[in-house]
Amino acid sequence: MIESVLLWLFAATALAAAALMLVLRHPMRVALALTATMISLAGIYALLGVHVIAVFQVLIYVGAVMVFMVYAIMLLDVRDRSFTRRYSRMLVPGVAAAVAFVAILAHALWRGLPEAKSAPGVMLFGLKEFSVTFLNEYWLHFELVSVLLVAAVVAALAVIEVGRKHRG
Amino acid sequence: MSHLLALIVVLPLAGFLLNGLAGNRLGKAFVSTVGCGLPILAFAVAVKCLVDLQAAGGAPRIEVAYTWAAIGDSLFEIAFYFDALTAVMVLIVTGVGSLIHIYSIGYMKADSSYARYYAYLNLFLFFMLLLVLGRSMLVLFVGWEGVGLASYLLIGFWFEDPDKARAGKKAFITNRIGDAGFLLGMFLVYQALGTLDMDRINAAFMGTSPPAVSASLLGILLFIGASGKSAQIPLYVWLPDAMAGPTPVSALIHAATMVTGGVYLVARLSGVYMHAPEASAVIAAVGVFTALFAATIAVAQNDIKKVLAYSTISQLGFMFVALGVGAYGVAIFHVYTHAFFKACLFLGAGSVIHALGGEQDIRKMGGLARRIPVTFATFAVATAAIAGIPPLAGFFSKDEILWYAFASSHGGSPLLFAVAATTALLTAFYMFRLLWLTFFGRSRMTPEVEHHVHESPLSMTGVLVVLAVLSAIGGFLSIPHYLAPMLPLPEVAHELEYFETPLVVMSVVVAFAGLAAAAFVYGDAGARAEALRRRFPGLYRVLCGKYFVDEAYDALIARPLYWISDRVFLRIGDRQLFDGTLHGLAALGRRTAGGLSRVQNGSLHLYALFVLLGIIASLAWGWRHG
Amino acid sequence: MLIATSIALFALGLLGVIVRRNVLVMLMCMELMLNGVNLSLVTFAQQQATAAGAVLVLLVFVVAAAEIAIAIPIVLLLVRRKDGLDLDAYAELKG
Repeated sequence: MIESVLLWLFAATALAAAALMLVLRHPMRVALALTATMISLAGIYALLGVHVIAVFQVLIYVGAVMVFMVYAIMLLDVRDRSFTRRYSRMLVPGVAAAVAFVAILAHALWRGLPEAKSAPGVMLFGLKEFSVTFLNEYWLHFELVSVLLVAAVVAALAVIEVGRKHRG
Repeated sequence: MSHLLALIVVLPLAGFLLNGLAGNRLGKAFVSTVGCGLPILAFAVAVKCLVDLQAAGGAPRIEVAYTWAAIGDSLFEIAFYFDALTAVMVLIVTGVGSLIHIYSIGYMKADSSYARYYAYLNLFLFFMLLLVLGRSMLVLFVGWEGVGLASYLLIGFWFEDPDKARAGKKAFITNRIGDAGFLLGMFLVYQALGTLDMDRINAAFMGTSPPAVSASLLGILLFIGASGKSAQIPLYVWLPDAMAGPTPVSALIHAATMVTGGVYLVARLSGVYMHAPEASAVIAAVGVFTALFAATIAVAQNDIKKVLAYSTISQLGFMFVALGVGAYGVAIFHVYTHAFFKACLFLGAGSVIHALGGEQDIRKMGGLARRIPVTFATFAVATAAIAGIPPLAGFFSKDEILWYAFASSHGGSPLLFAVAATTALLTAFYMFRLLWLTFFGRSRMTPEVEHHVHESPLSMTGVLVVLAVLSAIGGFLSIPHYLAPMLPLPEVAHELEYFETPLVVMSVVVAFAGLAAAAFVYGDAGARAEALRRRFPGLYRVLCGKYFVDEAYDALIARPLYWISDRVFLRIGDRQLFDGTLHGLAALGRRTAGGLSRVQNGSLHLYALFVLLGIIASLAWGWRHG
Repeated sequence: MLIATSIALFALGLLGVIVRRNVLVMLMCMELMLNGVNLSLVTFAQQQATAAGAVLVLLVFVVAAAEIAIAIPIVLLLVRRKDGLDLDAYAELKG
C-alpha cells in the first residue's frame, strides 16, 4: 500500500522535474532538474525491488554523468544568445509532433499490457544473483561493451589531440 | 577464259584506283597511259567476247562472279550476261569511251587536277559497264547509281565554282527522284517473281502463263527511273545544267552513254513491255512530247553546249518513241548512231571552245570555217548526220523510228508520226542554225579572241575525224536486224506497207527543208533572225527562258519544302519540342533538387524533428496494421 | 502507470532536443530520453521476472557514460571555435 503511494509520488516528481527541464532558462537549473528526475527514478527502481539498478543509477548517472555535466556548465559562459531565446524555430511543430507521439503510444498502452508476473516490492535482483546471471549468461554483451569503452578512450585521446592542435 | 566479262568490268576499275591513288605522284604521262590504255584494252576484250558470241551462234553467255548474299531461300549474285544487245552497248561504251579518253589528253592538258579527272572518268566506265553487263536488276542498279555518282563528280569537277557544284547536286538529286520509281519497280518484280535476273523476268513474261503482277504497272515504275536517268519530262532539268562540266564529260556521259541507260533498261526488259500496252503508250507519248518540247527550246539557245544538251534530250525522246511502239532494236540503233554524231558534235564544240579560249556564246562566234578547218568539217558531217541527211548514219536510224512511229501495230499512229516529223524538222533547223552562226558569216569575235584562234592538237582532231567517219558510214550496219532474234521488230499492218517509200522521201525532204530554212533565216548575218525576234518577243522570251520550268519547280516544290523544313520541323519540331523537352526535363531535375536540398539546412533541431516524425509515421503504420 | 511515465519522459526528452537552443541543455534532454527508456526496461524486467531487462539497463548506463564523456569535450571544442552555445551557429553543414 505504502509502496504504491511512494511509487506514485516518485513518478510524479520525475515527471514534474522533466517538465521543468524544458522550461527553465539557466542550464545549471536544468541540470539540477535532471538530477532530481534521476534520483526519483532511482527511488522507483528501489521500490520495485531492482536494487542493483537503483544503486548503479545513482552511482553512474548522478555521480558521474551529472557531475561532469555540472562541471562543464560551470566552465562555460552560458549567458549567450541561447540564454535569452530559449526555444528554437521548431517549437510549434515539435510540440504538435510530441503530442501525436504520446497519443499513439497511449492508445497502444490502453489496449493493454502483458500479465505481470510479480508484484512490486518483491526483491528480485539481489547483487549476488544478478552478478552471477550477468557474467554467466550475458558475458558476451559485457565484452562488447568493454570494446565500446575502449573506443571511447580512443575518442577521448583524439579529442585531446584536436584540442591541442586548435590551441596551436 | 571464263572471266572475260569480269575482266571488261574490272579494267576501268583498276584505272580508277591507279590514277586516283597514285596519279598525282606519277605524272601526266602515267595518268594518260593508264587512263586511256585500260579502256582500249577493255574494248579489245569486248571485241573478243563478240567474236565468241558469233561463234556460239548468238547464245548468251553468263558469268557468275561473286555471291553477294544468301538470304533465306533467295540468292543474290553478281553475275554478268552477254548477248547481242549487251554486245552493242559494251562496244559503244568502251569504243566511244576510249576515243573520248584520248581526246581528253589534249583538252585537259592544262588542268591541274588531271589525275582526278581520269580517275573519275575510269570510275564512270566501270559503273557503266556494270550497268550494261549486269544480269540481275540489282547489279544494274549498282551501276545505275554509280554512273549517277560519277556524273555528279564530273559535272562538279571544277567544284570551286559554286554554280558548277550546284549543277552536280541537281543532277544527282533529280536522278534520285527517278530512282524511287525504279526501286518500287524492283520490289514489285521481286515480290511477284522471286528473282531479279532480267533474262528470267523476260522469260516469265513471255512464257505461257504470265505472272500475276501487272506488266504495265511495272513498266511505268521502271520508266520513271528511266526518265530520270535519260532526261525525259519531267526529270530532264538536270541535263542542261550538267554542261557546267568539262566538254569531254558532256560528250561521254550526257550524250553517248549514261543517258542511254534508261533506253537500255527498257530495251533489256522488252519481254515486260511487250505485254504492257498502257506503259508503252505512256512511254511513246512522253518521248514524243519531250522531243518536241526540247527542240523548241533549242531553237532559241545561245550557248553552244546548251543547244547540244537540248538536242540530246530531244533525240532521247525519239529513242523512247521507238521503245514505246515496240521497235526496241530500232531504239538501240539510234543509241548507236547518236553516240557517234552527238559525241562528235560535243567534242567539236569542245574544240571550238578550246580554239576560242573559253568562249561559248554563239553570238560571239562566226567565220571560223576557214580558221579551224578540221573542226569545221567534222562538225558539219555530224550536223548533217543528226539532221537526217542520207546516206549518213542519222538518216537510217531516224527514218526507221519515224516509220515505226507511223506504222507499228503496237501503238503507231499518224499523229505520233506527225509530231515526230515536226521535231525532226526543228532538229535540222536548229542544228544548221548552230553550224551557221558558229562557222559561217562575218566574224563577230572580239579581237583578243580572234588572235587566239588555232586548230586543236592531233589528239583532239584525230578523234573528231574518227567519229565523223563513223557518223557517216555507221548507218550501214543494220543493228535492228542484228538484234532481231532477240528484240523482234514490231508487226506492220499490211495496208500501211505502201506508205514506206513515201515516208522515206518525206523525211529526206524534212531534213533539207530544215537546212534551207536555217540558211534563209540566219544566212545574211542574222538580219532576218532579228526581225523574227522582234515580231514574236513573247514567244522568244519563253523559249529563251526554257519555258521557265526550273523557276516553276523552285516555286512549286523547292520553296514550299524549304518553308516546311524551316518553320515546322526546325522551329517547332526540333527547337521547341525536342530541345524544349530536354531542357525542360533538365530544368525539372534541377528545380526538384534545389527544392529537396533545402531539407539539409544544418540545423540539428530540424533533423531531430524529422526523427520524431519518422517514429510517429512508423508507429502509425504499425498501428493501422494491427 | 510506470509505463505511461516512461513514455512521457521519453517524449519530453525528444521534445527538449527539438525545442531547446542551448547545446548543453540538448545533451541533458538526451540523457532524459535514456532514462525514460531505462524505466520501461526495469518495469518490464520486474514484471516478467527476467534478468535480461536489468542487464540491458546496465549496458545503457555504460553507453550513456561513455557518450557523455566524449560529447562534452566535443561541445567544449565547438564552443571555443564558435564562441557560443547557440545551436543555430553550428549550421555549417547546410547543403
